[in-house]
Amino acid sequence: MTGLKPSSGDERATASWADLARNAGDGAAPEDRPEDLRQLLTFEIAGSPYAVPVERVREIVRIRPITPVPRVPVEVRGVISLRGEIVEVVDLRRRLDLPPIEPGRSTRIVVVSSETGKVAGILVDAVREVLRVSEDTINPASSGESTCVEALCVRGEEFVSLVDLDRILEIDAEY
Amino acid sequence: MAKKRAPTRRRSSKADREFISEAEEIVERMRDDLADLNDQRSESDEVDPELVNRIFRSAHSLKALAGMFGFDPIQELAHRMEDILDDIRLGRVSIHSSAVSLIEEAVAVFGSMLERLGEPDAIADESERIANLTQRIEAARSESQSDSGGFGALDLDPSILRALTEYEEHRLRENIERGRNIVLVESIFEIISFEEGLSDLSAAIREMGEVLSTLPAPGESPDSEISFSLLAATELSLAEMTDRLNFPNAKVRLVLDNPAGKAAKRAREPAPAAESTESHPELHAGERNPEGDALHSLKSISDTVRVDIRKLDELMNLVGELVIQRGAIGEVVARLLADTKTARIGTDLDKVCKMLDRKLKGLQASVLDVRMVPLRQMFDKVSRVLRGLRRELDKDVRLDIRGADTELDKLIVEELVDPLMHIVRNSLDHALETPEERIAAGKNPEGCIKVEAFQRGNHVVIAVSDDGRGIDSEKLRTIAEERGVIRPDENLTEQEVLDLVFVPGISSRAEVTETSGRGVGMDVVRSNVTALGGVVDIASTPGRGTTISMTLPITLAIIQSLVVRVAEHRFAIPLNSVMETLLIEPAEIQRSEGREMLNLRGDPLLLRRLATEFELTSPPADAKQFVVVLGMGDQRIGMLVDNLEGQQDTVIKPIQGPIQSVRGVAGATELGDQDPVLVLDVASFVDGSIRKREAA
Repeated sequence: MTGLKPSSGDERATASWADLARNAGDGAAPEDRPEDLRQLLTFEIAGSPYAVPVERVREIVRIRPITPVPRVPVEVRGVISLRGEIVEVVDLRRRLDLPPIEPGRSTRIVVVSSETGKVAGILVDAVREVLRVSEDTINPASSGESTCVEALCVRGEEFVSLVDLDRILEIDAEY
Repeated sequence: MAKKRAPTRRRSSKADREFISEAEEIVERMRDDLADLNDQRSESDEVDPELVNRIFRSAHSLKALAGMFGFDPIQELAHRMEDILDDIRLGRVSIHSSAVSLIEEAVAVFGSMLERLGEPDAIADESERIANLTQRIEAARSESQSDSGGFGALDLDPSILRALTEYEEHRLRENIERGRNIVLVESIFEIISFEEGLSDLSAAIREMGEVLSTLPAPGESPDSEISFSLLAATELSLAEMTDRLNFPNAKVRLVLDNPAGKAAKRAREPAPAAESTESHPELHAGERNPEGDALHSLKSISDTVRVDIRKLDELMNLVGELVIQRGAIGEVVARLLADTKTARIGTDLDKVCKMLDRKLKGLQASVLDVRMVPLRQMFDKVSRVLRGLRRELDKDVRLDIRGADTELDKLIVEELVDPLMHIVRNSLDHALETPEERIAAGKNPEGCIKVEAFQRGNHVVIAVSDDGRGIDSEKLRTIAEERGVIRPDENLTEQEVLDLVFVPGISSRAEVTETSGRGVGMDVVRSNVTALGGVVDIASTPGRGTTISMTLPITLAIIQSLVVRVAEHRFAIPLNSVMETLLIEPAEIQRSEGREMLNLRGDPLLLRRLATEFELTSPPADAKQFVVVLGMGDQRIGMLVDNLEGQQDTVIKPIQGPIQSVRGVAGATELGDQDPVLVLDVASFVDGSIRKREAA
């Protein structure tokens, strides 16, 4: 499935999704404490890293024509077809109050699902990598600051924002 | 981030309820059938084999159900019961033995267990009784195994005898004992149409007796033909049977001229059964059919596969995609045909495509058929709930159910249970008066709720009517004004006022419940039905009652759509709602009260611009426009679009994602080029509910 090739840069364009996950495992903490380890898929929006748990990612697809849906909030860009399934695409930039940009070569749609099985695509500037991080590097986000970041993962100098998928997936209204 | 887990306990209690409701249904059926069985036993020495089969099937279903939900003791007992019923229907255990009372006892145990299933010790308390009962059933089985006799007297090829199942053997023996003649009917059929021919022949034989077994005959027949032998039992003589069986290819041969039969027949001559054989073959057919079918349905116990509806969806998706691919080939054909150099290949390909089309249609139809279920089960559920509520609310009400055999897509039925329950509950709760009030109003103290289903064209209508107090539209209007849903000066027709019950701001208020006789959540009913591509209508006469009808598409599967274009957007409109299309000049559009209208052969047609409804860029006003005339129920509107792009087979799919539903959009579909195209929810345009949001 070509759709599963994550490729934030060209050097990774041929790496398979499973390879990426495995590579991430190699450099990280030992395997004997899997309970405390979390795998995160990181991606970029406006230069900053964001992440979602790997187990919630169904696939990553290249940008494709998005059919707009009338009279919905701007953050819903429209719908795409995934092998017969029709899935809404949420523009995370809009959700984070950032100006939208024209999709480019590295733009991807990360297809995620909620625990209840709800599915949506998330439009991101670029996909980076799969991280294996230990549970104690994850800190809850200070409340009230953001609408869709639920935690921050400290990676040396950098903070990776963990996206609150339930918030993204439950706009929960009729339009 | 703590990992969330679904609370298992709550889920299991929900599962319990599900189990109980289904199991109760089965046990109820067993009780009914057992009662019939006992009646028949006391009247004659022969019972309807189908009755035993039915109880057997019920026990089988109960076993499977209990197994699925993990109620082992119930499963075990149902299993024993199945065993002994199997013995009875195969004639190994006599119907007159104590076996039947054991079965009755088992059914009683099921009943009391189901009643107490919520209690923690229910299963443990009954386990001793169950163990004791299973033991006694086992004992009864080993005691009364009767011997099986040979079929030496039959003039029949041993290979045929060997091919008989145990049940068929039993039926054969039973019929010989009853003194019936045994015949073998051989017939040749064209291989392409043999199913039809065979079922016609079986039906004809069933009018004269019982079809014991249908066996393919060893073939010296040519490839294009296939022959079958039907072993049958009849009270007719060979001559009578040959005479009556009007099938040129069928040969009847006597296998056993039963001497006992003639005596028995003479003795019973005035009896209705014999009489009907003589003079009312059609009556006889009705009587015999269950027996004949029993053979088939019995087999189907093991032939039936329970399928997850999602697998059917996958299948449907695949078929849908096949159809879409077929569309793409059609485009290639058109290109080939357009060029003189390739026109010949195009013609050939076109022919092949036409054949493919036929097969695809057949495939679609079969997959569709698998998904269709009768509404009976849903109606039974409603009736059960209503019986419970009736006691609770102390209201005298009769439930009148019609059209339970109407079939609908399984998925639609699943989604309809809640809305239907809601409507019926509302009728009982709010619309029906108390017996005292009814007497005071000069009505029958017993209220009536009618649930009716029927097919209308490509739709199925499910209507719930009550003869209650009806809706006070004055009060409804006042409340709508108070809530700011409508302006006090707004000019609404009676129907528009009634439709207000579906507006969220109105129906969720408790006050309306008491005053208007309509309860909460009608807006939810509407949105559920709309999501299925259906429409809800309401009609009410004060003092006389209210009717709420849901009109639903028969299936969510493949439908023909008209693809239209507005600016750069394409939309699909289900063709079953398109009455006609027109090309008009802007000058033909007239205005009345700010609404755009068209004179359609003398009738005013309200126009809606798709561009305006969906807030898309409008085309220049002086361009010619296409009008798509949409109809749903009795209402018509004209939809203005920029262009028509042709008809397509489309599979309407739900849109997945954070936004639950978009007004005016029923779903999306893929056309040949893979881009999703939104499918319009015609109902919301026709009844104007696409605009209600702004109003509310």
